Amino acid sequence: MIKTENLTKEYNGNKAVDSLNLEIAEGDIFGFLGPNGAGKSTTILMLVGLIEPTEGKCFINDIEVARNPLRVKEIIGYLPENVGFYPNMTAEQNLDYFARFYAMMDARQRKKRIEELLELVQLDGVSQKVGGYSRGMMQRLGLAQALLNDPAVLFLDEPTANLDPEGVFQYRKLIKQLSDEGKTIFVSSHILSEVSKVCKTIGIISKGRLIARGTLEELKTELSSVGVENMRIIVETIEPMPEITHGDIINAEYDETMRKVVIEARSDIRDYISSGLLEKGIRIREMRMEEPTLEDVFISVYRR
Amino acid sequence: MEAKRLFNVARKEFIDHITSKKFILILVLFLIITVYSTHEGIEHYENRLEKYKERLSQTTGEMGVEPGYYIPKKPSILLIFQMMIYPMAMLGAILTIAIGFDLITKEKESRSLKSLLSHPVYRDEIINGKALGGILALVFAVGIAFIVLFAMLLIFSIVPNLDEFVRIVLFGAVTILCLLTYFSIALMSSTISENSGRALIYALIIFFAISFAMPVVGGLVTESIVGEPPEPPALPKYGYVTPPPSGVDENAYVVPVKEGGMPEKNEEWQRYEEEREAYWEKRRAIREVFETFSLYCNYDKVAESLTDPYVSETYTSWYRSGDTTGIHESLEKVWKNIFALVILPFVFFAIAYIKFMRMDIR
Repeated sequence: MIKTENLTKEYNGNKAVDSLNLEIAEGDIFGFLGPNGAGKSTTILMLVGLIEPTEGKCFINDIEVARNPLRVKEIIGYLPENVGFYPNMTAEQNLDYFARFYAMMDARQRKKRIEELLELVQLDGVSQKVGGYSRGMMQRLGLAQALLNDPAVLFLDEPTANLDPEGVFQYRKLIKQLSDEGKTIFVSSHILSEVSKVCKTIGIISKGRLIARGTLEELKTELSSVGVENMRIIVETIEPMPEITHGDIINAEYDETMRKVVIEARSDIRDYISSGLLEKGIRIREMRMEEPTLEDVFISVYRR
Repeated sequence: MEAKRLFNVARKEFIDHITSKKFILILVLFLIITVYSTHEGIEHYENRLEKYKERLSQTTGEMGVEPGYYIPKKPSILLIFQMMIYPMAMLGAILTIAIGFDLITKEKESRSLKSLLSHPVYRDEIINGKALGGILALVFAVGIAFIVLFAMLLIFSIVPNLDEFVRIVLFGAVTILCLLTYFSIALMSSTISENSGRALIYALIIFFAISFAMPVVGGLVTESIVGEPPEPPALPKYGYVTPPPSGVDENAYVVPVKEGGMPEKNEEWQRYEEEREAYWEKRRAIREVFETFSLYCNYDKVAESLTDPYVSETYTSWYRSGDTTGIHESLEKVWKNIFALVILPFVFFAIAYIKFMRMDIR
């Protein structure tokens, strides 16, 4: 379980994270969304014990991070954004070096665990030194190092950055598998589609403050009501159509043939449009309404 | 801090050093220079030994040493090691700066530091482990150099006695102490710098400043404080003030002798000599203060004191006598330099430690 209480981090008087209160249940896959510079990475760094908060506290499985950073590090795994390794060592040597810091692993256990993890991230049999790795390979190795100690809580900062489609697919599968095992997973990203695909709950951070929190559907509903008020109606006809007029239409963009229009309106005016076109004997090929996606909501919230 | 984690870092660092191309390359160069200097030293020693034997045969008759002859001292094999002082300090410094200047910046650049710190290890274990790994690599390099040196001595059938052996071991220890200071400078530069390029520049600047610039600055400061030495009086040193007869050279002036047979020193000359002594003593004291901050001066003085058992010290200067000094005396007369050699690495390491502990990891 992850918990923060008024977690704040200041740099030169500027609050990178401002009174953050979070509670993430055991087994949850929590997506931490926000644009670059919103405070996501700073929050993670405080949660994994790499930096100390200016104010407030954070807890991992009821252990206060700032007071017991090593106890926390024993039970967490962390994949940093743009993860780095020792370029003069192989993947196995890098993992073995990190694994030696865990008291509970002897040489045999380390070897076995490293073999398992390298197979999991499909780097088994790669004998070249890490200095020659592609960014995607580094990311996969980063995931392996985050899983070295079979952590109860996993922090992933921009985990799909640099991964190819196959790598992304494998990553999603792995996250689901780890969640099924009861692990708590904290995924920080600015890629909404990625978070929405794997996360059970989502929190949105902007300018260091948590501005929304809930499941994907809850968030969509909550933010739609305050964020995106307009909707888009797309109409395609067989014959050219006349210009459609209505008080709720904000904008309408017709193509050159006058057979397609994208209407931005304040309300759902599809019935009005279909009746009008029918009266004029214009046959409708397609009419659909594009609801605001979470992406639209997300952007509109950021822009506020 | 836990020893297991500290040694894990130190172990990795040590292996990294001794398997890195730059370390191997500089070590090979270091060994080549060591072999060359040793060879030169052995030749020098053997020449001196030859001359000693020649002189001894001239002064020794059938009944032993002829009365009235000065018996020369047998040259010490430590002469060989005197040839090593400069190359050890210079190449050792290059080797040390090469292994230390990017210890932290490299981790920042490769972003491995963040990965490392996300595992259960304290920051002080990392910095101390890095220092320990580096020190072990230096001991390894100096150890190899000394093994090669001893092997060469044995090849040339030169066997040190116990006193010489202890002095050689102490010379090795002082060399490591000197290199340790260079290492701490490199580590500090690496900790305070944003990237490896800057760290190397800072390390080289500090290296030159505390090795060579400090004595020069000391000389300039001394000049400006003490000024010019006192001028000798324009009078003959001995005798009374009596102008020489015209046409007689002052140097050929016959000094009147007081009762008792010995010429008496002129009072002005006496005063001048006292002033001159005070002047040079003051000058030496100021210079010494600056030289205490010069790493090379400290190393040179301690190493020379250890490798030249014929050097003794009066209260103002060192002189060579025919008698050897004990190891204790050799060390005692350079205690200030030894103290500086011990303190300097701690100062630089403390700066590196504090900076690393407060470093922002983002």
